[in-house]
This record gives sequence, C-alpha cells and structure tokens, in this order.
Amino acid sequence: MRKIKFIAVKEFYHILRDPKSLAIAIAMPIIMTLLYGYAINLDIKNINIAIVDYDKTIESTELIDAFYASPYFSRPENPVSLSDPQAAMRSDDVTAVLYIRPGFAEKLRNGQTYELGMTVDGSDNNLGAAVMNYSKALVNTFILEHLPVGVEVPQVRLAIQNLYNPDLESSHFFVPGLVAIILMMISALLTSITIAREKETGTMEQLLTAPVTPWQILTGKIIPYIGLALLDAVLVLVAARLLFNVPFVGSQILLLGFALIYVATALSLGVLVSAMVKTQQVAMMLAMMLTMLPAVMLSGFIFAVKNMPVVLQLLSNVIPAKFFVTIIRGIALKGAGLDVLAMQGLYLIILMTVLMLIAGKKFTRRIA
Amino acid sequence: MNNAVEVVNLTRRFGDFTAVDNISLTVAKGEIFGFLGANGAGKTTAIRMLCGLLMPTSGNGRVAGCDIIKESERIKSRIGYMSQKFSLYGDLTGRENMDFYGAAYGMSRKEVKQRRDELAARLHLEDILDRQPVSLPIGWRQRLALAVSLLHRPEIIFLDEPTGGVDPVFRRKFWSILYDLAEEGVTVFVTTHYMDEAEYCGRISIMHCGKIVELGKPFDLIAKYKAPNLETMFIDLIDSRGGECAKD
Amino acid sequence: MSRALIGVVKKEFIQILRDRNMIRIIFLMPVIQLLLFGYVVNIDVKNLSLDVYDFDRTHESRELVRSVGASGYFTPNDTIMALQHLEDNFKRSSSDMAIVIPPGFAHDLMNRENPSVSLITDGSNANQTAIGIGYMGRLMQIFISAYYGVSIPLDLRFDVLYNPEAESVYFMVPGIVATLLTMVTVMLTSMAIVRERELGTLEQLMVTPIKGRELLLGKLIPFAILGFLETIIALTFGVLWFQVPFVGSSVLLFALAGLYLVTPLGIGLFFSNVTSTQQQAMFFAWFFSVFAILTSGFFTPISNMPTWMQYLTYLNPMRYFIEITRAIMMKGAGLQDLVFQVVMLAIYGVAVFGLSAMRFSKRVS
Repeated sequence: MRKIKFIAVKEFYHILRDPKSLAIAIAMPIIMTLLYGYAINLDIKNINIAIVDYDKTIESTELIDAFYASPYFSRPENPVSLSDPQAAMRSDDVTAVLYIRPGFAEKLRNGQTYELGMTVDGSDNNLGAAVMNYSKALVNTFILEHLPVGVEVPQVRLAIQNLYNPDLESSHFFVPGLVAIILMMISALLTSITIAREKETGTMEQLLTAPVTPWQILTGKIIPYIGLALLDAVLVLVAARLLFNVPFVGSQILLLGFALIYVATALSLGVLVSAMVKTQQVAMMLAMMLTMLPAVMLSGFIFAVKNMPVVLQLLSNVIPAKFFVTIIRGIALKGAGLDVLAMQGLYLIILMTVLMLIAGKKFTRRIA
Repeated sequence: MNNAVEVVNLTRRFGDFTAVDNISLTVAKGEIFGFLGANGAGKTTAIRMLCGLLMPTSGNGRVAGCDIIKESERIKSRIGYMSQKFSLYGDLTGRENMDFYGAAYGMSRKEVKQRRDELAARLHLEDILDRQPVSLPIGWRQRLALAVSLLHRPEIIFLDEPTGGVDPVFRRKFWSILYDLAEEGVTVFVTTHYMDEAEYCGRISIMHCGKIVELGKPFDLIAKYKAPNLETMFIDLIDSRGGECAKD
Repeated sequence: MSRALIGVVKKEFIQILRDRNMIRIIFLMPVIQLLLFGYVVNIDVKNLSLDVYDFDRTHESRELVRSVGASGYFTPNDTIMALQHLEDNFKRSSSDMAIVIPPGFAHDLMNRENPSVSLITDGSNANQTAIGIGYMGRLMQIFISAYYGVSIPLDLRFDVLYNPEAESVYFMVPGIVATLLTMVTVMLTSMAIVRERELGTLEQLMVTPIKGRELLLGKLIPFAILGFLETIIALTFGVLWFQVPFVGSSVLLFALAGLYLVTPLGIGLFFSNVTSTQQQAMFFAWFFSVFAILTSGFFTPISNMPTWMQYLTYLNPMRYFIEITRAIMMKGAGLQDLVFQVVMLAIYGVAVFGLSAMRFSKRVS
C-alpha cells in the first residue's frame, strides 16, 4: 500500500513538473468546452436570402418584412445581381433567392392559387432543408393571416411542450457529452503515453528491479490520472453551468458512480494500448484511433448513431463512450435515476470487466 | 596565418551563468591539440563557439583564417565536426549519409563518390557502408562519423569525445588515423576523458569552471606538477581548484 | 537548385519512406478519414423516434400516425406505457419525441372543428427538436389539407441547386479533403523538423555550410509534394467511392490547393520552432487541427456561431479553403467568384510562412 502511494506521488510530480502536460490536462478541457459550446451550434438562423420583388405591392412588401423579421433569415450583405442571382450563391453570399412574380397581391386578395418560387443552394443539404422548412412555415403563417374574409383553412392545433431544455440551447446537448470525451482523453490517452514513456526511456526497467510488483506500479501510476480525470469532469460541468447555463438536475452521486466505472473502462483501454506499443509516438497514434476517435464519432456525442449504416450502429455498442454519453445526458439534463439507466449501466459494467481482464492479461504478459 | 585556431578572451554567458570565462589559446596547423576538462567545465560550449555554432558574448578569434564573429559561415566549409552524441541519420545508410553531407558541403556527385571510396578504403568502412548506423556497434559508428566529417577535406577537425564508450582496440586504431591526418597537415582539436589519449596529443589545455587553468605539452605538465602520470596530475589539479563545476 | 537543396530533399524523402508511421499517416489516414467521415458525419434530422400515445384509436388517428411515419422524418413506436412513464424513454434517450392524440380527434375532424394534438419533445437535443417540430407542423398541415381536400392557395415551389439528391456526404467530402490536407501537412512538417532537433542531427547540419533557406526549403518541399499527393488521393477516393459530383475545374482546385498549402506548411514550421519533442509537435498539430476544423464551417455553418466567434473565423485559413473547395466542387465556381477567399489565403500564406521562416534560425539553441 505504501509503495503504491509513493509511486502515485512520483507520478503526480511528473505531471506537475511538466508544464505542458499540465496545460493540456487543465486548460484543454476548458478550451474544449468553450469551443464545443460556442462553435458547434446546429441551430440554424440568420440565413442569408435574397428576395426579388416583381410585384411591388403592399402585400409583397409585407411578405418581405415577415421574412427578414424572422430570426431565421437575414438580408444579404451585398445586393444580388438580377441578371445572375446564382453568382451570389456560388460565392456563398446567399443561400436562397425568393422570387415574387407580378400578380401576387391580386391573387392573394382573391383567394386564388399562386406559386412563389425559391431557388435554394442545396450543397449543404441540412441548411437547404432548413431554409425550405422555415420558408414554408413562414409562408403558411403569412397566408393564414391574409385570408380573404369568409375563407377558412382548417388546421391541426399542435400543442408543443419542450422538456429539459425549453430554450432549445445547442450547448446543452454537446457539453455534457464532452465530459465523456475528456474523461476518455485523460484516462486512456494520457495513461497510455505515460506508460509507454517509461518503457521507452527504460525507467520501467529500473522500477522493476526494485521490490515492487508490476501491479503496484500500474496502480500507482493510474491513481493520479483518475483524480485528474474527475477533476476535469467537474471543471467542464461547472464551466458548462457558468457559461452556457447547462443545468444539472439529477443525482451527482449517481453520476460519480457511473463515471468511476467509465473511467475504469477508459483506463483499461489506455493500459491495453500501452502494452501493445514500444514508443510514445505509436502509443499516441494508436490511442487516438482506438479511444478518442470512436468516442467522438460513434458515441452519439455529435452525430446521431441511428443515421449511420447498420454496421456502424452495431459497432457503437462496444464503445463505452456511447453508454456514458446517454448516462450523463440523462442524469444532468433530465434527472434520470438508476431505474431508467440500469441497462446502460449494465452494458458499461460488462465492457469494463471485459476490458480490464484483457488489459490485465496483456500487461502482465508484457512485463514478464 | 600559420595558426589554425587563435582565440583571445573568449567568453560566453547564459544569463547569470558564465560557461566560458575569458579563455585564450592558439593551435598551430597540423597540431593534435587535446582540450581537457572535467564534466561541466565548458568544453562543449567553447568548441561550439569555435565551430561557428554559437556566438561569443565577448572576445574574438580566428579559426581556419576566418573571424569567428564576422565570418562564421565561412569557417564551416573549412572545418569538420564530430559531436559527443552520435548525430548522423540513423535511418539512412552510411553511404546515404555521406552522399547527403557531401551535397551539404557543396561537393559534386563525382567528388563525393571519389572521396567516399577513398575514405571507405582508408577507414575500412567498405562492409558497413550499406548498413544503417543504428545497427552498428559504437566503434564503427564513430568511424563513420569521422569519415563524414572528413568528406570535404577540412583544414581542422573538432572532435568532441569521439571515443566515449569505445573499446580499447578501436580507440587505438582511431588515434592512429588521427596521427595520419595530422601528418597530412590536418589540425586535430580533440576533447577526451581518457588520459592515455591526452598523452598522445602535442599540447593539451585543461579547463575548469570556464577558465583555462593549464596549457602545455603533456610531459612538461607532468614534470611541473611532479605527478607520476597525467591522470594524477589532472585529478590533483581539479581537486585543488575546488572539484567539478555543476553545469555543462 | 543548389546541390545542398537537392541533397536535403532527397534525404527527407528517404527518411519519410522509411518511417512506417509517416507512411501510415500519408496513405491510411485519408482513406480512413474519408470512410469514417463520409459514413458517420451527418447532421440530417430524420428517423426521429416517436412514441405514439393514441387515445382516440380511430381510423383517422391511425391514418395521422401512418402519414407521419411515411414521411421518413419520424419512426413511430406504438407504446403500451401509461402516460406517467412518457419521460422514461426520454431519460434513457431511446426516443426523441412523443405525440399524444386525445380522444375526440376524429370527432373534431369530422365536425370541421380544428382538432388538437400534443407534441412532447426531448428538448436536450436542441437542433433535432427545433427541426423536428417544424417537420411535424408541416406534416399536420399536409394531413389535414389532404383530409378536407383543401389546399392553401399560396404555395412555395423550390428549385434546389447543386445537390439535388441532398446527400450529406457530397457536402462533407470537400470539407474532409481540406481537413486532411491541413492535418497531414501540419503534423508531418512539424514532426520532421522537431525530430532533427530531438535526435541531435540538427547540430551536425548546422556545422555544414548549408544555408538556412536551403535547409528550410529542402525540408518543406517534400511535404508540399506530399500534401498535393494527399489531396489527389483524397479527392479521387472520395469522388469515386461516394460518387460525389465534381462540377467545377479541377485545375483551379489544385492551383488553389497549392496556394493554401503554404499556410499549413508555415504553421507546421511554427510548431517545430516552439516544441522540443515529436510528441509535443504531434499534440500541438492535432490540437490546432481540431480547433481549425470546428471553426471552419466544416460541420456547422459559420452563420450559426455567435457573432464574436464568426469574426474570429475570419482568422481561420481553413475556412477559406473549405469555401473554395465546396464552391468549385459543388457549384462550379470560378476564380471571379472566389476573389475574397483567394486574397485572404494569399495574405495568410505570406504572413504565416514568412514569420515562421524568419524564426527558423540556423543557430543551435
């Protein structure tokens, strides 16, 4: 026990004395929070559209005002050339051009059918879809307000209730998931590099000549990283709360419990990677590929798993981050309890056990 | 100019720390000069200044006829250098290393080939030319490094502990090569910790904490200090001055 | 071309080809990234999991659910749970929205009274929710119009240019190419130079009369060439595998890629100046790449970011290159459409490269 403590303390000194890894360990989570919180915003608004009005009536002007009054649309910065409106799309100045042909107001007053035309830049299909959706909705609202007397159009009254994130802030979705990424980064990436470094520089050999068992070395090395990982997780959650108002509704204890399981899983991955490589460089590359990349891409952190090809959907079920992302979103944003998250927890435990066994075996074999 | 190296009051400071403190020396052409000192005495810093790798804080000098402050680039084409740590490319073969450095020294392909064959024969490197240095024992690596430093027929070669970690047989062979070079007029400026090698030198200087505390022919110095051999003389001298210095 | 310069270029190539790590980065990374990004990266909102609580249980209510499901935007699940447990599925993220059809839905419909329907959403995924609500509103409108045979007199017809199949991946591939080029160039360049410093071979080089600029160019040229190679590999693979259309001029694209390349080379050079081990260099390169990628408009449109961040993105060279690549590949843009981007890249290239090169001094330490 004492031996483990000494090794853990030595490892702490290593970390503290290397200002660069310290910077990485502390500054990076904060920077990432800022980055992901602000940059990745999928809410679509302020789309530049140009409106070409050939009707020039009060009604057509009202329609134009309605478009630009909406948060979704903005005026383009430069006027669009009438002879080649698509030039503005090629240079990315506008995403769509709406044409109001003559006769618009007249048809509107008479309740006759009329067709507006919009040319849309479909290269970003999401943006394009959004433009089309919002335009359609806007036009619908407009016509319902301008129906001639006596004409009625039936509607479904859709009552909407948004739970957990009533203001629909993008950051609430991404930032908790970030905790999963950061925990993985510190527990897997950093540990694999550290262990590989000792192997590469030969200090591992030196350590082993002392009366310490490989397991004591391993445990001692890992402990500071567990502490660091959890510290960073707290940092991210606090930053999320302060900067983006991300709530934390559920039980911190429950999250801590799951976090420890997840960290154990990530650590096993880190140890596994370090057992397979000889140099730090390769450790880093391999760790990136096996831990970080799947965690970011296949966990549902940003990209919806259900939209991926089936093969990848199946693959995502062996990625620990996937379960932890669901868990932390559930607990932080929705107040989920153990009853609801039991299955995720179970999967995580299974993954943890399997990985710990494999990593343990590989580590012992390598040392011996 | 008959002197290969001439420095006056050469000093180099790093912040508060004075690595080289006001040294002056001259080395004649064709001499084998031993540059001795304990670890941390400032030898490597001094050599770096002589090679044009580092600018002195004060003082000046001439190496191979060129001013070390104003003409440092010129010096480089006239000198060869072998650093303490093996610094050729481990992932290139001996031949590829030589081709590269030949090109770096501005030699034509024909010249490089000719010189390479010449040196390979002279230093018995033929068998290892196509191997990568990482796979060679240290003695062979050092010989290869020596060959590379001689490619462009330099007037002076600076060798920083060229035989560190090398077995005695190789060391003897290495030094016989150095003797041949000196006879051909190449000035050899060498650092070493081996006192038997120091005795091979024409003259030696001893550095301690940045200063040159002794300079002269080995046997003259032994006599002066009434020591049984150079090693004892060296140790006593350093001890009397307070032991080793902390930084190198 | 001096002998020394050629010598350095030759040496670099030999070293690169003998370094298995570099080979992996150069050849494997593009393929893996393309596959991964092509298949994984998409932010399309579709297949939303919709729990259905149908308390009306009439032909009409079922028809409503069917039509919602047929749209492809939603996947309805008939639930047998009581309403109290509605949130459970949200909490474990197994469904995205719930629709509650009250009893009397069909009755209202038949009596020409606007029927009510409740939509309860898991708001945590904000984007999905916002767009999903929009879709649901539209689908409701379509349903009821079809039911009564009445349509809204004012219609909006769309003409979608450039990506009529609305394939996410067509939009992604140009971004991936830009990303790849940047990452590989920055990483390899910085590592290669730092390696010399780390191993001590830099010192031996400094003792030779080789000029600083010969060394610099000699080290960078191979990576410029490799960067180009990467672009070609990535583009060819991307276009062939995902069948991405390529509308504009490939010559123009390659020319501008060459212009862009100067910047990552300069950045790689900068990193090599400030780091002392290859591992650090790699980390810096990776970190920078992530930063650049996220703020370049690759995943998310720049117009979505907060205003202050949008201004910051003007400092991101990748942003311009992505705009250029997309414009040329998908819209057939010509040089005249891209003047702003080209000018910015030119300024950037000169500034970054110039500054870094100056710092790359020939003295050791």
